[in-house]
Amino acid sequence: MGERTAIRVLVTVIGLDGHSTGAEVVSRMLMDAGIEVVYLGIYQTPEMIIQAAIQEDVDVIGISSHASNYGQIVDLLELLKKNHLNNIRVICGGTIPNQQVQELKEKGVSEVFLPQSTSTSIVNYIVSHVKKPKMLAT
Amino acid sequence: MKRETDYGHPIKTFYHPNDIEGLDYNRDLGDPGSYPYTRGYYPDGYRKRVWTQRMTAGLGSSRQTNEVLKRYREMGQRGGMLVICDRTNAMPIDPDHPIGRREAGVLGWPGASLFEFEQLMDDIPLTGQSITLLGSCAMSSIRLAYIVALAEKRGIHLKDVHGSVTEYPFCTTFGQTDAQPLDLDLKLWLDSSEYIVRNKIRMRSGILSQHFQESGGNNAQALAVEMAMLKELCSLLVHERGLDFDDVAFLPYELVSVGSRFFEEIAKIRALRRMWAKMAKEIFKAKKERSCHLLISVHTSGRTMTYQQPLNNIARCAIQTLAGAIAGCTAIDNACLDNAHAEPSPLAARMSLNTQHIVADETGVTDVADPLAGSYFVEYLTNKVEEEAYQIWNEIEEMGGMIAAVEKGFVQKMLKESAQEKHREVESGERLIVGVNELVIPPEEDYQIPIQELKTSDSEDIARRMEEWKKSRNMPLINQKMAQLCVDAKKEDKYNLMPSIIEAVKAYATAGEIMGVIRKARGLSYDPLQAIDCPFDLQ
Repeated sequence: MGERTAIRVLVTVIGLDGHSTGAEVVSRMLMDAGIEVVYLGIYQTPEMIIQAAIQEDVDVIGISSHASNYGQIVDLLELLKKNHLNNIRVICGGTIPNQQVQELKEKGVSEVFLPQSTSTSIVNYIVSHVKKPKMLAT
Repeated sequence: MKRETDYGHPIKTFYHPNDIEGLDYNRDLGDPGSYPYTRGYYPDGYRKRVWTQRMTAGLGSSRQTNEVLKRYREMGQRGGMLVICDRTNAMPIDPDHPIGRREAGVLGWPGASLFEFEQLMDDIPLTGQSITLLGSCAMSSIRLAYIVALAEKRGIHLKDVHGSVTEYPFCTTFGQTDAQPLDLDLKLWLDSSEYIVRNKIRMRSGILSQHFQESGGNNAQALAVEMAMLKELCSLLVHERGLDFDDVAFLPYELVSVGSRFFEEIAKIRALRRMWAKMAKEIFKAKKERSCHLLISVHTSGRTMTYQQPLNNIARCAIQTLAGAIAGCTAIDNACLDNAHAEPSPLAARMSLNTQHIVADETGVTDVADPLAGSYFVEYLTNKVEEEAYQIWNEIEEMGGMIAAVEKGFVQKMLKESAQEKHREVESGERLIVGVNELVIPPEEDYQIPIQELKTSDSEDIARRMEEWKKSRNMPLINQKMAQLCVDAKKEDKYNLMPSIIEAVKAYATAGEIMGVIRKARGLSYDPLQAIDCPFDLQ
């Protein structure tokens, strides 16, 4: 087995939030930029996301949020720590009020992309923060 | 900047009589109140009755939502109330479900039982105003049962209640997603619709293009999808449930999304009236003139409300409200200035209701019906969007209709591609949005607006209260009703579950329990999220 060259990002929507358009648009823009996307879709619990992140060996978890259920993003961060997955970055995007943006960052979210963020800003952030893709397990 | 309609048709510098050559006034427009109703259903427009001016409520507990409804009344809500259900209820699962308890009361009202509906409606009349409950399709029959049960408890004749509490099955594909398979949603929608029609209840059912457009679809697609849905669902009620089209025609209402493409949005609504009237007469052979009237409400577009410089959204909301009013509609509810941040704050709600009153009372828009008729441009756009919509609708029909087109993924693909195209147009600067890709200011200089927040502890409080309340119920009675529901749900799909759902609701069975039992009877897991087991002993 060779070395994986592409960055791999898991894109999902957490909890009962049904707003999937943002996640779908972002998935497409990442794929167009040569990033591998694992799209989990809606109704994902923090536990399900962690499991998929391990199985798919992703570099970044991207959460699209339009339903003010930030508690579950915090639960996800805690689960990552518990499972010693500190190398996986969590980024969020969506209609997240300013105050929540600060709180999520304090709790360990790497970056929050607000509505109408450009493709370039999202792709650049990911590419510049995930420098060395991991080796694929053989 | 792109000079094209929302659906990609080039726009000229000006329009001329040649652009609407062949337009026949009587055949294609007619006076307001005359077939094909392009100009509206009423000869006197809004003079007798202005549109219902309402705001969406629903956040936190039933008590909190009840207070908001009363406040909206003081703020100038007129003619009707509108409540949106929360995400737990959309599925539906109960607020005390292990996953539900993390977000009960998020994005809406946690309407999981008749007890919650009684609290929601405390000191609020069921009659004299339209009662609208928005939510997923799966919950339609249960919401209708709340109305039936509360009317009975209050000693009110059901025929005196009007509004809408049921929603179309495709909403799970591109709107209020629920956790039920499409065939179950369809069955429950047909059951509730048949019950409404047979009992002559004055409740409408939302068959909405708003979700589709708000998810990124364009005007022509939204119009096509709306017509395809109306045709398929009305056909099922006529052919499978044996109802008369002239009774069915009273059922649907359409909530149209109105964005900032002012003239195009007005054209779309005018075209919709004409298309429905033609379908009613030509396809369904309507005998009553009234069957050619489709109830149309307007939701000004939440999608167009920007996160950046949120006060700009007041201007957008005003333009969209004016478009909705000019197009002609029965009710308007507005997206608020804080739509991209949170649920409506009291300030944002007041601004939206004030906007409606300013448009209604200060602009003169209520004086004259269909004021833009005869404009070369608007008539051209009305013809054009209709033509484009017929093309897409025909494609859907060739696939076998709306259900087939959804099963094949055609509608979803069309929506996804349109959403991506819209994003691309903004990124490339082909479409300008003030504060986003034009006249941008640094985030630290942006205005701070009040934010309506919901804390995680609020969801937990709602869950705990439900746990306690559940213990106080008459469990033998609930067990008995659930056993009956299970027996009925195993019968053929045409067997109407409304009577047994109403019985279960009256016994205070919850939404999660009722849907769980129906699921189990159909060979599905009791809990759609497979986190809890069925608490009932069912045979």
